[in-house]
Amino acid sequence: MDGDQGRGLTLAEIDTPTAPAPPEPEPEPTPERRPRRRKKRASSKEESGVWYPRWYWPSFTVPGTLFLIFMFILPVYVVISVAFGAVDFRNFGAAVPYYAPWWWSFTTFNSTLSKFYSGTHIYLDPLMRTFEYVLAASVICLVLGYAVAYYTARFATKYKGLILILLISPFWISYLMRIYAWQGLLDTNGPINWLLRPIGFGDTNFLAGKSITVIMGLVYGYIPFMILPLFASLDRIQESLLEAGRDLGASGRQTFWRVTVPLSRPAILAGIVIVTLPMFGDYYTNDLLGSTKTSMFGNLITTQREAVQSGGVTATASLVLILSVIVLVPMLYYLRETRRQAEQA
Amino acid sequence: MRHPKDMSRRQFLTRAGGAAIAMPSLAAILAACSKPSVAGGDTGSAAGDIPIATPQAPVELPLTQDPIPADTPMESGPVVLYNWADYIYKKDVAEFEDKFGVNVDITTFNNMEEGIAKVSNGQVQPDVFVPTPGYLRRLVENDLVQPLQHELIPNMANVWPVYSDPGPYYDLKWHYTVPYTIYTWGVAYRRDRVSDDELAAQGWDALWNHDYAGEISLYDSYGDTIAITILRDGSLDVNSCDPATITAAKDAILQTINDNQARLTINGVYAKIPAGDYTVAESWSGDIVGAQWYLPKGTTWDVLGYWKPEDGKTMIGNDLLAIPKSSKNPRLAHEFINFFLDEKIGYDNFSNWNGYQPPLTSIDPDTLIQKGLLPKQLSSAVVTEEMFKTDLTPIELVPSCDQIWLDAWTEIKAGA
Repeated sequence: MDGDQGRGLTLAEIDTPTAPAPPEPEPEPTPERRPRRRKKRASSKEESGVWYPRWYWPSFTVPGTLFLIFMFILPVYVVISVAFGAVDFRNFGAAVPYYAPWWWSFTTFNSTLSKFYSGTHIYLDPLMRTFEYVLAASVICLVLGYAVAYYTARFATKYKGLILILLISPFWISYLMRIYAWQGLLDTNGPINWLLRPIGFGDTNFLAGKSITVIMGLVYGYIPFMILPLFASLDRIQESLLEAGRDLGASGRQTFWRVTVPLSRPAILAGIVIVTLPMFGDYYTNDLLGSTKTSMFGNLITTQREAVQSGGVTATASLVLILSVIVLVPMLYYLRETRRQAEQA
Repeated sequence: MRHPKDMSRRQFLTRAGGAAIAMPSLAAILAACSKPSVAGGDTGSAAGDIPIATPQAPVELPLTQDPIPADTPMESGPVVLYNWADYIYKKDVAEFEDKFGVNVDITTFNNMEEGIAKVSNGQVQPDVFVPTPGYLRRLVENDLVQPLQHELIPNMANVWPVYSDPGPYYDLKWHYTVPYTIYTWGVAYRRDRVSDDELAAQGWDALWNHDYAGEISLYDSYGDTIAITILRDGSLDVNSCDPATITAAKDAILQTINDNQARLTINGVYAKIPAGDYTVAESWSGDIVGAQWYLPKGTTWDVLGYWKPEDGKTMIGNDLLAIPKSSKNPRLAHEFINFFLDEKIGYDNFSNWNGYQPPLTSIDPDTLIQKGLLPKQLSSAVVTEEMFKTDLTPIELVPSCDQIWLDAWTEIKAGA
């Protein structure tokens, strides 16, 4: 298998589902002399016949660069400066960021970090819990999401649009509202317990800090983000490839595992990244459906955030930094994988 | 001919513009590079060192400016009220609007920290603000509130005398505040599941009783829940800075969470006790009075009960009305405060909406019960002037002490 088909999707392409860009024109070989690179870069006259100034194409990156600087790099730097800064207790515990690295003080950051491993390591449990919940919820999202996306892409035919609209429609209602609805459903006297009663599982207090409830909430909240990239990918797999698989003697199941799944692999990765990253920072699902017994990393952050007057703000920023480093791991894995696939293709 | 080194006008403008942009940002960058100075430690302040007020050591706050003159003309509004959500009766606010011909914009905060932060950085510029006493000292130190013109608040005469003479411990001579509501801490319970005697025999221990496992609620607020646990443990030092006391309280809270599935909530009393989700709950007295409006159809208010410790062992708190310095309508703000200290309005606001009682002389438990505004068993939720004078109260903790409380609470919230 070769060509574009095997390369699959990356995150960027899912965001803008347009046709892949045409391959860039090969630079014209100049066998006689060493290529005069400066001149070639200076204008694109020879390739397209239209002359552009040298800054023309690079200038297209300006909006993106400015956005990154002002919406990402500077804010991150401010968070770092707050984490390594001080607190003004007289002014209600307001942050006093130290912008210059030579003033940075690591006291709060170190003491925050040490709560993960030393003493009673009170932050360790929420961290491990976060990993457990995110892993479980992502796997469930993947299995359920794949089934739905597969059905929608391959068998839904004329109902495809309708199913997609139905999948997106819950987003018209605030997530908070929907979770409040779950509180009612999962109540000890609620309909779910009523349904479970005949099978002998009635009177379960789902809302008293049960891991399963929080995982369910996470799956419910994030599964559409898994389904959409999977659908986009599965929908684009050419029927002919599947037919070829069958022609060459593979059973339906073999075709699925050896043709469909590998072709959708980039979408699987993208979906997992899209659902995993926000799950790591999620706190409201547990706030509304769990208890302190199911606290996640995000809840640690909110607890510190609410304690501003006693200097919680530096601890908050420290936790945010630690979480950023943690979520870098799946992100880097994703980047590595997509690059590897691009190279293979 | 022009000398090549002369600048054209355009060049000059561009360069000047560039410099105009560059200079301030350069200054900002340089400023950012110098180490900001922070007055370290637990004390120290701009408006002189105001000590932390306690009932034993009351404080008269220094005047940061003169009150507005009593003959200040009325402004055109709108009056901005910065308050907790659902903490004032809209009908009474509308009455104020009619009387003075201005609009009132109600903006809300979710917790005191948020409210203070937005007032201090100017994000919200209210005319009337509803702080708790624990923040008042720092509000004055940071020059964020203005002194009240007493002549414009004649209705202060309706309030318990203790609030004006000598004035409350946190604001002697009431320079900056009038009281808005007053409340106690106690245990709310369902009388159809626990009898009054049964509950009274247990007191705070009801919140640790395994018989009510899964139906226990504590407030998701460290100041409140740790303080009542200290009371439960037999100490009266509700502002303790002793690490051992706080650790014991933490262990006790964790125990009832782990063994009895106690939950940390905010709506546990006013919404979940009427609904029957909880049997016992840590409660502010105002929450249980307000709970009557949340009862499902067919349930009478006989099911609502409130227990508080005997006199001298009860904890009392109050919320205040103050006028921030940034107020654009200080005269109207005074009128607003005066309006809500009116006997009729204050009473209406309390009995028809808030559940939180204003410390008005005219309100007493017997009258409320007679008028059918309060079930008899909830008379324990009414606060009297005598209690305010003698009972315990939470005060502002110094940062190092607050940190001990917060560390304990972090451990509880982390689900140890």
